[in-house]
Amino acid sequence: MEVFYIDDQPVPFEKGEKILSAALRAGLEIPHFCYHPALSVVATCRMCLVDVTDLGNGRPAPKLMTSCSTDAMPNMRISTQNDKVQEGRELVMEYLLVNHPLDCPICDQSGECTLQDHSYAHGTGHSEMEYNKRVYGWRDIGTFVQLERNRCIHCSRCDRFTREITGTDEFGMFNRGHELTLDTFSDRAMTNHFQGNMADICPVGAITEKEFRFKRRAWKLRKVPSVCTGCSTGCNITIEHDRNEVLRLKPRENQDVNQWWMCDEGRLTYQQMNEREQRLAKPMGRVKGKLLQVTWQQLYDAVADRLEALKPNGEQVVALVDTHSTLEEMFLLRRLLQEVFSSDQVFYPQQDWTQPESEFFIETLITTDKAPNQAGARLLGLKGSQEHDVISAMKSAKLLLVLGNPFINEQPLLDLAGTTELMVHIASRQSEWTDRADAIFPGQNHAEKEGSFLNKQEHWQRFWPALRPSRHVRPEWQILSELLHMGTATPVQQTPQFSQIFQQMTSIEHKLFGNLALEKLGESGISLADLRQQSDTLAQTA
Amino acid sequence: MLEETLVLFRNIRTPGYDGTLDSYRKAGGYQSLPKALAMQPEEVIALVKEAGLRGRGGAGFPTGLKWSFMAKNTGKPSYLVCNADESEPGTCKDRELMLKDPHLFLEGMMIGCYALGCHHGYIYVRGEYFPAIKSLNKAIDDCYREGILGPKLLGGDYELDLTVHTGAGAYICGEESALLDSLEGKRGHPRVKPPFPAVAGFNSCPTSVNNVETLTNVTAILEMGADAYKSLGSPNNAGTHLVSLSGHVNRPGVYEVAMGVGLREIIQELGGGVRGGKQLKGVIPGGSSSPVLRADEIDIAYDFDSVGKAGSMMGSSAIMVFDEDTDVVKLLHRISRFYNHESCGQCTPCREGTHWARQLLRDFLQNNGSERKLNRLQRVGRNMGGTTLCALGDAASMPIVSFLKKFPDDFRQYYATAS
Ligand SMILES: Cc1cc2nc3c(=O)[nH]c(=O)nc-3n(C[C@H](O)[C@H](O)[C@H](O)COP(=O)(O)O)c2cc1C
Ligand code: SF4
Ligand code: SF4
Ligand code: SF4
Ligand code: FES
Repeated sequence: MEVFYIDDQPVPFEKGEKILSAALRAGLEIPHFCYHPALSVVATCRMCLVDVTDLGNGRPAPKLMTSCSTDAMPNMRISTQNDKVQEGRELVMEYLLVNHPLDCPICDQSGECTLQDHSYAHGTGHSEMEYNKRVYGWRDIGTFVQLERNRCIHCSRCDRFTREITGTDEFGMFNRGHELTLDTFSDRAMTNHFQGNMADICPVGAITEKEFRFKRRAWKLRKVPSVCTGCSTGCNITIEHDRNEVLRLKPRENQDVNQWWMCDEGRLTYQQMNEREQRLAKPMGRVKGKLLQVTWQQLYDAVADRLEALKPNGEQVVALVDTHSTLEEMFLLRRLLQEVFSSDQVFYPQQDWTQPESEFFIETLITTDKAPNQAGARLLGLKGSQEHDVISAMKSAKLLLVLGNPFINEQPLLDLAGTTELMVHIASRQSEWTDRADAIFPGQNHAEKEGSFLNKQEHWQRFWPALRPSRHVRPEWQILSELLHMGTATPVQQTPQFSQIFQQMTSIEHKLFGNLALEKLGESGISLADLRQQSDTLAQTA
Repeated sequence: MLEETLVLFRNIRTPGYDGTLDSYRKAGGYQSLPKALAMQPEEVIALVKEAGLRGRGGAGFPTGLKWSFMAKNTGKPSYLVCNADESEPGTCKDRELMLKDPHLFLEGMMIGCYALGCHHGYIYVRGEYFPAIKSLNKAIDDCYREGILGPKLLGGDYELDLTVHTGAGAYICGEESALLDSLEGKRGHPRVKPPFPAVAGFNSCPTSVNNVETLTNVTAILEMGADAYKSLGSPNNAGTHLVSLSGHVNRPGVYEVAMGVGLREIIQELGGGVRGGKQLKGVIPGGSSSPVLRADEIDIAYDFDSVGKAGSMMGSSAIMVFDEDTDVVKLLHRISRFYNHESCGQCTPCREGTHWARQLLRDFLQNNGSERKLNRLQRVGRNMGGTTLCALGDAASMPIVSFLKKFPDDFRQYYATAS
């Protein structure tokens, strides 16, 4: 690749690439507002000015150039720091602020606001504007976001988003000159399913999420990488939390999965992470027909006694698992059935899912499979409910294990649960299964535990714990591995680590997972196809 | 005594000429087009280049060169779009042509289309020009009826359609890329360049945007040949041009003169001097965006290069004259109001700067000026220049900077007096 120079540092670029995009790729920062890698270049904010001291032919550019719209050229030399550039930025900042309300104290964007950051870094710190500022009211523009036009810096990212990314064209530019506003048409609210992204790409507090309004100062939020559980796409997200409460979910860029985006429905799954009412908070056991609170030890002992008495085996043991469960949980459940009960009857609710076809990538994000890990269940060889007769399997079951809350809409299955001798429910939330269970092992929710999923394209992605769980609950992988130890009578050493479970899975299933160590599964995951290719080449070179 | 050099206005100045197809034909019209059709398109472009024609839309860009930039073999249609938006204050020459001699212009447009290989040309007319729009539409209808336009251009084997499209009252739609957006049915916003229209213009196809007067000149070049055309003007400024003379002169109007005649002569001899025997105070030599010249600065030749050397621009050849009684603060306020009103608003310095400058000037008019505000006005004006996406930022900047430089005392009289 050819190079050009930014402040004497060589920067490689592709032919036709603009200065700013090459700089950002090389990890260099040039302040900008209107440029966004996903959107067309309009070069209107004028913040990204640079001084091209040599166009590559020995001659300087006649004036400051906007780096977002200027082609990089071989041997071009650019200064982003000299006095001329700083003066250029100062004047753009001054113009941007003459009509800006600067209501940072009550602005939700404060702390993560590009305007704030750039005025701090590149502004003069004082204003000579002595006239009244432009004032508009705030507007309710959609189901998920609202618009505070006073704060708008007219970068038009929102407008380009509905035109170029969702193709819904709900935004437009109105009026001219200093009265220019960006808004929805004819007071019509937006209905696209991706409005939260507009709050993300709006560089200021003009478009903000209603859900997050006035809830927390941005700098209070702690951020943990995770994966959205809203559907089988598995958008990469950050769980943003404070004081053990999730405040919002934000998409994390991953070009292989969700690019920069996620849908609004996915964003709303944060509510489930904070949910308390339906929570299975403590271990419970059925004593004389009634569910009572017990200790973990009592529960394990009671289950062990019952199993000793029943000695369920083979066809008498059935497990149902939902596809919100992680790969590790499914793997342990399968082992438990195989190794302790010689059964392979682990069923998951199989979904026929569809995904819209569209020339707009973002419209293909949402799939009809509303769980994140069906591909994982399939890969691990669990039995899909459409290919196997779960009802007839249940009819001969003495022991029923339910992990999560699968099949809750299938009354015949629920009814059959009553006919089993022992029913164990391992889950973080109550459901129809809970009432029918004899032993209830309270698990942890998505924001509390670790795990990994396989998305619809078999992209393997892990997530990290964000919230501190109550001390009465345990992660499902731990419960399952404890049950496994109990059944195989191997002494439970100390509590296993997640990484050990993971290692166990990838080494036992090395054909599927290539013996991958947990540290190697980074924040953007890995595609199984790539992994296979890697291990093939490894095998060949070995 | 300075006289008009009649090339484009030859018919218009002929008594009894009414601009209809009949009278145009009688006056020798539609003779240039067959000449062009007998040539190869490249030869037509070479001829226009050779004649040294420079664009009359404002920038004076060589037309032949612009045409030779058109992307070739793209597999897409190419377009010639005529810029008839004429909205720079002071300019009113294209209207004369469209209204009084539409066929002379249309013939040039047809030649241009042939030279560029376009089979569909658009004329984007300023929306307020109702009579001109009517006249153009009638002329085009007549051409279709007479078999000049249509599947067989002039009965030959070249297919050409022309369509008149009317603007909706935005000055910015005179800027060529905003014009193309508007023509595509979008909000007229200047585009990022590159790509230039010659590569991706109307509907992303190769497009040339040319002014009405520019295209009308093409008819004349085909008629008289490159050398005769060149001999009319001054070096590097070929031909004649239409000068819109307005303001405090005795005989305002549109005059056709050879490039390079004296600016003062135009005002004195064609315009009959300053109205009411008053003294001249200054001249805006090229439409309201061009830097102002003081009365003592106008002894220059009136062509692109000479006015440029004098620190201003000839732009669209619109001369605005003002006398000694003129309040230049009011004048500048009026001009600034215009650019504020017409800024499309998408880029920061122009959106905020045009309004800020207008507010500052209003302060002066309310006897609330000060040295500080004068400096600020100068800074706000200067900072819009060269920092914006399109040239409207410069257009708003140049009058402010030049008025403050040339007439500082006029602003001082509006300083706040302690009362
Ligand atoms: C703000 C602005 C307004 C303009 N308005 C006009 C106009 O009304 N008519 C025109 O012919 N050119 C106008 N232009 C110039 C056009 O962009 C373009 O340069 C011209 O149409 C090219 O034609 P020419 O090569 O024949 O001169 C304007 C430019 C700017 C920046
Ligand atoms: S948008 Fe940014 S600068 Fe404006 S009020 Fe909000 S935090 Fe402050
Ligand atoms: S609302 Fe936000 S994204 Fe839209 S133009 Fe204004 S600042 Fe930009
Ligand atoms: S300079 Fe003014 S008119 Fe031109 S693009 Fe920018 S805001 Fe619009
Ligand atoms: S980022 Fe380049 S002009 Fe806005």
